[in-house]
Amino acid sequence: MTSAIQAEHVTFGYGRDKPVLQDLSFQVQTGTFLAIIGPNGVGKSTLINILAGQLRPQSGAVLLEGANVRSCSVRDIARRVAIVRQEFVPAFGFSVMETVLMARTLHYGRLGFESGADRELATRAMELTATTEFASRTLGNLSAGERQRVFIARGLAQDTPILLLDEPTSFLDLKHQVQIYGLLKSIQTDKGTTIVAITHDINLATQYCDQTLLLYPLGSRPAEHPSYRIGKTAEILTPEEVERAFDVRVFSAIVGNQRFLVPLGARAGNSSHSGRTS
Amino acid sequence: MHPTLSPRTLLTRTAVATVLLVLVMLLCSLIGPQAISLKAVVSGPTNPTAPNPDYEIFVRVRVPRIILAALVGAALASAGVIFQALLRNPLADPYILGISSGAGLGVILAVISGVGWTLWGRSPVAVFAFVGALGTVWLVWGIGRITGKYHVTGLLLAGVVVNAFLSAMIMFLTSIAKSQQLYATIFWLMGNMTEEDFLVLWVGGGCIVAGIVGLFFLSPQLNIISVGYHDAKSVGVPVERIEFAAFAISAFITAVAVSLSGLIGFVGLIIPHAVRLVFGPDHRQLLPLSTLAGAMFLVLADTVARTIVAPAQLPVGVITAILGGPFFLVLLVKYSRKVYWLA
Repeated sequence: MTSAIQAEHVTFGYGRDKPVLQDLSFQVQTGTFLAIIGPNGVGKSTLINILAGQLRPQSGAVLLEGANVRSCSVRDIARRVAIVRQEFVPAFGFSVMETVLMARTLHYGRLGFESGADRELATRAMELTATTEFASRTLGNLSAGERQRVFIARGLAQDTPILLLDEPTSFLDLKHQVQIYGLLKSIQTDKGTTIVAITHDINLATQYCDQTLLLYPLGSRPAEHPSYRIGKTAEILTPEEVERAFDVRVFSAIVGNQRFLVPLGARAGNSSHSGRTS
Repeated sequence: MHPTLSPRTLLTRTAVATVLLVLVMLLCSLIGPQAISLKAVVSGPTNPTAPNPDYEIFVRVRVPRIILAALVGAALASAGVIFQALLRNPLADPYILGISSGAGLGVILAVISGVGWTLWGRSPVAVFAFVGALGTVWLVWGIGRITGKYHVTGLLLAGVVVNAFLSAMIMFLTSIAKSQQLYATIFWLMGNMTEEDFLVLWVGGGCIVAGIVGLFFLSPQLNIISVGYHDAKSVGVPVERIEFAAFAISAFITAVAVSLSGLIGFVGLIIPHAVRLVFGPDHRQLLPLSTLAGAMFLVLADTVARTIVAPAQLPVGVITAILGGPFFLVLLVKYSRKVYWLA
């Protein structure tokens, strides 16, 4: 097994502020579905931007399929990694189909047009994300959830071995959350795509993601421990670690053979609860 | 399969627009204070008996001016498309980053300093305008790059502030200038066409046409650049390089156009919008169709400007706004359902 993504001693900070990420080292094996979980401001989006080569770490290196990102061109990176973000700035009324096809910009022919194969990839990505029915509508005329699926379709249409997603289900209803995670899972198993998704939904991560990278706020763990843990999801997302990372109390319940964690409000008491249901 | 732009549609529409442009140019060159007939023009320069006045007017007066109008219209409209894409802002126009005020300052400096020298037998006003325009726009671009490459707000603000500052300088110089010097300057500021000789047309036209062709090859990447910096980068577009090339070319052709004809407003703002409203935002199509539509529009506007109060002439900038404003509003109302920000 080769590793799709390898981070070596990655440190990053914005300007002269203290670093957001400190000495992060981990590997993501090819074909893994990795969740990145952690509280706001802990550097999840920053990390994903570093993995996609869009931010340069202050020190350390990122290897994509063995190649150092620093020595890769924008095109080389875009052939390996697609990234799906949550931000949307209204531009000039491009339609859904046009937006998804933009993923193929790199592969346009000499005259600047997509090939039949490009169109097929885009069409297929739209079918998978259930966005075909509004293919000719403009992005501004969609709901936030519909738009999010369009951006996922664009990520899929880029047809890369690695797919990075920044909170892909933040605007989605329950049905589409499950559908998108199911879709990502099937892409992982069918095509062997390596998937890294930032999420705040611990229970979805438990169900779908093989591995989890949990980021702690700097200083929340004893000095000798690194500020992150990575490993099998079930071993990382324990009630104690989630409580430590997020500074909340959680209720933990086992349903079937899955453990579910539910955050508790202050009124529900301040000691940790656990229960078993079957 | 959902409709998106195909090469064939693009080719057909561009061909139709080109034919339309040629027809408009031909028609407008026959219109003027002095009536001339196409038949007399076609018969050539040397009538057996006497020189052919229709031919002389057509070739020496009408054609150069019509070609100039078409070139300037094409340059402003295509630069407008590019600036709107680069700034991700539908309110942008070719002048927004300081080209207009820089050129204006150059012109008024040339006029009040009463420069005596000539360049290849021509007044140096155009050169001052060109240098002022390019100098200012590069200054603004430099400031914009310092304030950040992902966000265009710094660039836009720098443009607005520089425009305001230089406009104040222009007003100051205008208020201390002698009145006979002012007349030429004000006409220039309002945008004014004159009959240029063929050498100027060849050089200016060559620059503008080459620039627009270059921009066309950047237009596929401009689609995703107009969506966002990071979006473009993540699909493999070398954003900085493309943005720089597109900016440099469009600033250059705008400066050429401005030095040929003064500050003609409105073309660079409404033509891209009008074309986008009707044909959609795909830059591969938006750029060529806006270029041709801009050329057509300015040829028509200039024809009105030189005939409506004949034998006197109006500055064409007055006509572009008077004709263009209502025309654009009609389009806006008609197509607004297709445009999301009004929906």
